[in-house]
Amino acid sequence: MKRSLSVNEYHNNGLKIKKSKTNNPAEPESDSGSAEVVLNDDNLLYEILKRVEARTLGTASCVSKKWHETAQDERLWEVICTQHSSNIGCSINQLRSVVLALGGFRCLHSHYLLPLSKPFVSFPTSSSSSTVAAATYTSAWPCLSPRAVAPAKATAAKSRWGKDEIQLSLSLLSIRYFEKLDYNKRNL
Amino acid sequence: MKKHTLGCSSSTSNSKGKKIYDQDDELLAVLGYNVKSGDMVDVASKIEHLEGVLNNDDGLSQYASDTNHLNPSDLNSWLESMISELNPMMGSGGDQDLGAVAGINNGMVKGWSTPENLAGEMEVGEKSCGSGYPLGGKGVFEFVEGSGVVNGWSTPEKLAGISPEMEVGGSGGGSGYPFAKRVKLCTSPDPPPSGSGSSAYPEIQNPNPNPNPNQIVIVDSQENGIRLVHTLMACAEAVEGNNMLLAENLVKQAGMLAVAQAGAMRKVATYFAEALARRIYKLSPENPQDTPAFQDFLEMHFYETCPYIKFAHFTANQAILESFVGKKKVHVIDFSMKQGMQWPALMQALALRPGGPPVFRLTGIGLPSNDGKDHLQEVGWKLAQLADTINVEFEYRGFVANSLADLEPGMFDLRDDEVVAVNSVFELHRLLGRPMAVEKVLDVVKGLKPVILTVVEQEANHNGLVFLDRFTESLHYYSTLFDSLESSGGGSGGGEGASEQDKIMSEVYLGKQICNVVACEGMDRVERHETLTQWKTRLDSAGFEAVHLGSNAFKQASMLLALFAGGDGYRVEENNGCLMLGWHTRPLITTSAWKLK
Repeated sequence: MKRSLSVNEYHNNGLKIKKSKTNNPAEPESDSGSAEVVLNDDNLLYEILKRVEARTLGTASCVSKKWHETAQDERLWEVICTQHSSNIGCSINQLRSVVLALGGFRCLHSHYLLPLSKPFVSFPTSSSSSTVAAATYTSAWPCLSPRAVAPAKATAAKSRWGKDEIQLSLSLLSIRYFEKLDYNKRNL
Repeated sequence: MKKHTLGCSSSTSNSKGKKIYDQDDELLAVLGYNVKSGDMVDVASKIEHLEGVLNNDDGLSQYASDTNHLNPSDLNSWLESMISELNPMMGSGGDQDLGAVAGINNGMVKGWSTPENLAGEMEVGEKSCGSGYPLGGKGVFEFVEGSGVVNGWSTPEKLAGISPEMEVGGSGGGSGYPFAKRVKLCTSPDPPPSGSGSSAYPEIQNPNPNPNPNQIVIVDSQENGIRLVHTLMACAEAVEGNNMLLAENLVKQAGMLAVAQAGAMRKVATYFAEALARRIYKLSPENPQDTPAFQDFLEMHFYETCPYIKFAHFTANQAILESFVGKKKVHVIDFSMKQGMQWPALMQALALRPGGPPVFRLTGIGLPSNDGKDHLQEVGWKLAQLADTINVEFEYRGFVANSLADLEPGMFDLRDDEVVAVNSVFELHRLLGRPMAVEKVLDVVKGLKPVILTVVEQEANHNGLVFLDRFTESLHYYSTLFDSLESSGGGSGGGEGASEQDKIMSEVYLGKQICNVVACEGMDRVERHETLTQWKTRLDSAGFEAVHLGSNAFKQASMLLALFAGGDGYRVEENNGCLMLGWHTRPLITTSAWKLK
């Protein structure tokens, strides 16, 4: 199969093949939908999903139960988390054991790497007026700056993250794990 | 473009110093506006004010844009008359009969009808705009010499000459002044005949010859805010001077004004007013429910709502991590154990360092708890669980102490082959109430021979000898802090933003600090914050020298803010190797690292 096709494209093509009349009526039934081949073969699906981007992988997990199971595989998400920076200082085994213990790569990505890679959209209430007059007033007192309603800034999302983003995300993941520990439910 | 010099120019000024202020601003003059340099600030603030008024009421703004305005080139008086005309509108409180609204149409122009009216109008305008609240000694609305301006408008020829200029002025000046855009410029259909002034203006009518001079400016909450601040300060001054009767009255007034405010200012003012009341009536602020557990609970919400504590933890951890490079056995002594939120991240970073994790020992110091539960043990258990999960060899010990000054080096069971780091987040300032306590603690720290001492403290001087100074400082500090709280709650922070409850608890948390700074004295007053400079001096004389926090810490801090902060007002600054987190221009907390000289 062509590697350049994204999963969605492939899926769509599969559907098209299903819907249109088969050109070759002599073909056996099992060949009429290439999509079915993928739908039924986990290994094949896994191979395809190994090569897609995070967003595609997330979409893929919404397709069907089978796809959902395959797309949840931590190894796939590990690839996504580590693809941009190969060297964060420790060995991959080290990283794997720690991250899996703390909640997994999928969790790491969706909770921390994803928001980090999307620069923050500012909220309307955050900026204060910027006119000259306001400056003379606000320099006198902080709370009194009139809150001008600024339109939310949408900045282009960068889909790459470096060593620093990963380290920050890991820290936050560990804090999250820690917060969830319940002293009262410990095994005595 | 013809330059029109309306009003008193240098001709009327007496002294040289006054000349500059009386001259028209050159840049604006080029655009056709005549504004005196000295009045620039006023003009800007009036525009702001008027913009606020017009923005607040959609009905009005529509009328404002439809009216014809004569002679906007003298911005100062023109704005003034607009404001004074809008005031009867605002004063009626919303039920606008068309007659009054139509009054704007005519009213805009009426200020220029006759010289006498002009003078009268401007006086009224001045009063109704709430003059008399000086900010730092300067009057809020200062007026140009009435007579001087009048002279400029009396002759119709000048006005006729002005009209075509307005077009140019308006379009050109639009970039600088919002009103120029909205205003339809005067194109007087029939050029005013020379001679009588009043007949030259067909649109002039005179519906309200005497508007109420004592109107309350309802729209100007900023002005009320300033009034509130001044009332609070006056109250503090009265307390300082032991003038308790006056203080009582002022604090009640402050309370009422605070309720009329909105948002951050209201909350801050309420807390400060309450704290002042406690001080005046000598009420003990000790609340029996205020166990350390409750304090921790409040602090957890503060932790979730805004990035200050997270910033503290992350930057301190970075410094500790860097000092632990290559060491096989490490021991961290935490003076501010609380819920132990700082340590998971450090443990994770140690687990993932090249070469594998060291043996990690943690000694936590905490306050005794009144509810029988051993909080230090609970925290220790959780940390041990985490350590087990990520395969870090971990040892924990919890110490209960009423004050850090009770500690001795011998208590810590130091081992020969381990390196020690000491961490203190918002704890050292509590020692300043007792003489020599902080010196003793620093001595103890020295005795531990740490490779690094990380200190995070509030960046403010709330420990001055004079109450009024402390009050003013803390009012400014906590206003900034509350301001930043207002805009939080939008952060993407891992998918969970700060809830309303978090915010309210954070405010209570800060409110308790405010109460302590303002209402307590002696040993009770523990929130004795001091600035970095002061701490530097202290640590220096105790035998420590500063360690620069690296760029990694700065990067982590900046990224953290981008992720968690609800607004873009937070700033990370580097100051001689120390990192400061602030809101807009005001630094609020500082992380610094120290080692033995």
